[in-house]
Amino acid sequence: MATRARVVKMETPAATGGNALLILVGLGVAFLLITALLGAAKAGGPLFNESNLLYVALIFYAGAGALYMGFGVTGVPKYVKVASVATAIGFTANTLAVAHRWYLAGRPPFASIYEMLLSFVWTVAALTLVTEKKFGVKIIGSITMPLAVVCVILMQLLPSEVRPLVPALQSTWLHVHVTLAMLSYAACAVSFALAMMFLIKDHFPTETFLALTSGLVSAIYIAIIATRFEKWGGLSVTAWDAKDKSDMFLGRGVRLFVTVPDLGWLFVMAGLGALLPLVFYFVARVQRNDSYLGIANKAIFIGILLQVIVLAAFVLRVRDASYASPFQEGLYPTSLAASPFILGGLVSGVIASMLYLMLLWRRTDLEGLLPSADTLDRVTYKTICIAFPLLTGMIAAGAYWANRTWGSYWSWDPKETWAAITWLVYAGYLHMRITRGWRGRRAAYFAILGFGVVIFTFLGVTYLLPGLHAYA
Amino acid sequence: MALSLSSIPKRIHKTLANLRTGVVLLILVVIASATGTFILQRPVTDADRLSQAYSPNVLRWLDRFMLTDVFHAWWFLALLGLVSLSIVLVSIDRFPNAWRFYARPYRKTDSHFRSSLQTKVELPITNSAEGLNAAERALKKLCWPIERIADGKQTSLYSERHRVSVMAVYVIHASLLLIFAGGIIDGLFGYSGYLMLQKGQTGNIIETRTGAKKILPFGVTCYEAGQENYADGSPKKWWSKLAVVQDGKEVQAKEIVVNDPLVYHGLRFYQASYGMTGNLDGLEVMATPESGAGREVTLRINEPFELDPNTSVTLAEFIPDFFVRDKQIFKRSDNPENPAFRLQVMNKTTGKEAKLWLFPAYSDAAQGQKSGYGFAFRNMQMGYFTGLEVSHEPGQWLVWAGCILMGVGLFVAFYMVHMRLWIVALPDAKGKLILWIGGQANKNEDRFEEKFNDVVEGIRTELERASTVPRAARKIEPELTLVAVK
Repeated sequence: MATRARVVKMETPAATGGNALLILVGLGVAFLLITALLGAAKAGGPLFNESNLLYVALIFYAGAGALYMGFGVTGVPKYVKVASVATAIGFTANTLAVAHRWYLAGRPPFASIYEMLLSFVWTVAALTLVTEKKFGVKIIGSITMPLAVVCVILMQLLPSEVRPLVPALQSTWLHVHVTLAMLSYAACAVSFALAMMFLIKDHFPTETFLALTSGLVSAIYIAIIATRFEKWGGLSVTAWDAKDKSDMFLGRGVRLFVTVPDLGWLFVMAGLGALLPLVFYFVARVQRNDSYLGIANKAIFIGILLQVIVLAAFVLRVRDASYASPFQEGLYPTSLAASPFILGGLVSGVIASMLYLMLLWRRTDLEGLLPSADTLDRVTYKTICIAFPLLTGMIAAGAYWANRTWGSYWSWDPKETWAAITWLVYAGYLHMRITRGWRGRRAAYFAILGFGVVIFTFLGVTYLLPGLHAYA
Repeated sequence: MALSLSSIPKRIHKTLANLRTGVVLLILVVIASATGTFILQRPVTDADRLSQAYSPNVLRWLDRFMLTDVFHAWWFLALLGLVSLSIVLVSIDRFPNAWRFYARPYRKTDSHFRSSLQTKVELPITNSAEGLNAAERALKKLCWPIERIADGKQTSLYSERHRVSVMAVYVIHASLLLIFAGGIIDGLFGYSGYLMLQKGQTGNIIETRTGAKKILPFGVTCYEAGQENYADGSPKKWWSKLAVVQDGKEVQAKEIVVNDPLVYHGLRFYQASYGMTGNLDGLEVMATPESGAGREVTLRINEPFELDPNTSVTLAEFIPDFFVRDKQIFKRSDNPENPAFRLQVMNKTTGKEAKLWLFPAYSDAAQGQKSGYGFAFRNMQMGYFTGLEVSHEPGQWLVWAGCILMGVGLFVAFYMVHMRLWIVALPDAKGKLILWIGGQANKNEDRFEEKFNDVVEGIRTELERASTVPRAARKIEPELTLVAVK
């Protein structure tokens, strides 16, 4: 039914240009696999355990993501074939990792934020394959695979031991509730990717994408700086307790922060760098002078450069170091594992900027690769039609379970409230679409907003607004 | 424009029955709920935490605007009420049309409808009765229900599936109202509270969140309670053996765990917490007289225990965690890791009382005044309590009914497509006889188009088969006699 993606005329000869990336990615994957294998052999222990399998999944997802993006840039159809094979291999490894954990724990992996991410990545990969094979939206992997990679990297940093279930979680409703949540969230993620593609296909101005990318990245930096910038240019990060493999706590729920000197200024610089394109965009709009847009497009390179520097500096300085804390005497060790969300934010920023570059350079080719705008619009709507009942079921199952555990089906806990808000946003989307006939851009904005709320409900609430729903 | 008094209710009705108003109200609900998650809420936050987070001035203003308890503030409830009202009014406005559509389906096509319909096909036929019969056979094969509409001169076929799907949206909105109704009933008539019981204790007074007390018409006894741990020491299970006692009789008993409450007359008792009361349940000591064998005795606080006809011992004081300053013993904490026990030994013949101290963390033997007995520490048992969350939610059944209804409604609304087919034999613009086939679906049009094409193909095959079979050999079907041939 869907219009199959057409192969676009190539400016570069496909034979040589086509194989270069394949060889590069193939070599990269092989290199990483061999080093991982050697490392595992040296360390001894079983080869097929969960973390090794997950690492394999990460490597193949990253390779697939690179190839999908390469397909987006060059339009070589071979890439997408290899990419979907890589996705399938990564998915297999991911499935085995889930199965291994399930077997070890004797229960489905739904009990902590780590396990939730494991299931989420699995569902996203599955839906990516389905969307690609069934609806012919080949390019979808270039958005969902980087998302999967960020999630797997986050998972490497989160505490991953199989912890026994606390009494409140020992219920069949856990499985019902979390399965529904994962399915609906993954469907929302796919609808988001489709809505973005619709905007590309619908000749949404490239500059506006630039402004949005720049806005998103600088919002990440502003959020980090607002919460973590310390006096004299330091950046505070959570101290890491290597013995307990957890964040270090001063008291109940109060984390111990240490200050990494000078890193704060670097973040401010990168934040300003990320903001530059947005500033030039506004100047161009106000002055009605499009030459500023060219400057804005150049500024994004400075932004990416600064972001990569910040990322490298953050990794180098926070990984296995010790810093003083303003709250308590002595030096305390730090680890990347204690700041998964800063790292996740930085990586997401770089990936978002890269995706924009892909769009900037190969917009016309990309548009040729996508199914028609109508199809994308319709498939977005269909995905939300799948997500919404699942979301409803998730909330109902959660309420029923809460009623058996906490004694009340609705306690206005932040997680509950935000789940309700997500539901209302998608309900708004459906009303506007069905009764007001909203199609196209306005519907796409709504789908994007909806996914933003989903991400906040899933991750933001867990870390910013703790409540009863403390497990994940 | 002058506003007459009678028009005001009309205007209010018009405003509320507007979908745009509904969406604005939903946006307001979203903003209000989000605010309620960002500002610390009084019912779930300690007073200390609140005063730590906000300065007194800010807190006063937050309280004044009722932002510290958004979800129970009158304006939030009013907002939810307006949303419900808006749903009701919008539904009432739209329902009659939908009902007409549902109750009296559009079966007969007219030329205007035929020309404006998107999905349609015209097949050439030689005889209208034959054409319709062929169509009927094809539809039967594809399992479509068939209605023959005879209207004077013209006969046509009408077929539809899943008409109920057009009413699903009302089911969904009604289910939402049902859930709201359940919530309102619980808000008005429901209550919840906390009941703390020690082993063997019976209680019937629960403490609500606001600190008020509520007396239950029956008592709840806790026979036993306990905790099981995983190998790593983290809690695996909390349980309590409970019984409901009414008029001195035990009427119900159950061992509850976290996730599995006891239910009695609409009141549910949940395992919420378990822990030490800080009180001592019993102290086991070895009491040895100056001559003779010792024996193990269990002492309870302030209960004299007779060691021999002349001597009795009382556990007069228990300090869970002590420290010494100026030769006085003080309590440091409630954590029973460094306990101190004061024993009083009474000699009835001399009337003398001896005071002894027992510090098990330092030495098993008691020290102090001479009493004729030596005491050695053996064991101590702390008292445990089980914390029960009690709740009465008479409206919850409405909520669950609403949830199930909503599930059904959503399924029907999203996954059942109302599909209609009209088939009629008539002359086209040039006067040639054709079989006009039109179809419509209320959603998922691309999938419907496939089905429509299947139907058209089926009819085409049937028509071809009919034309190849010799006329004489054709069996005359009974329906044929009913058809008024044009």
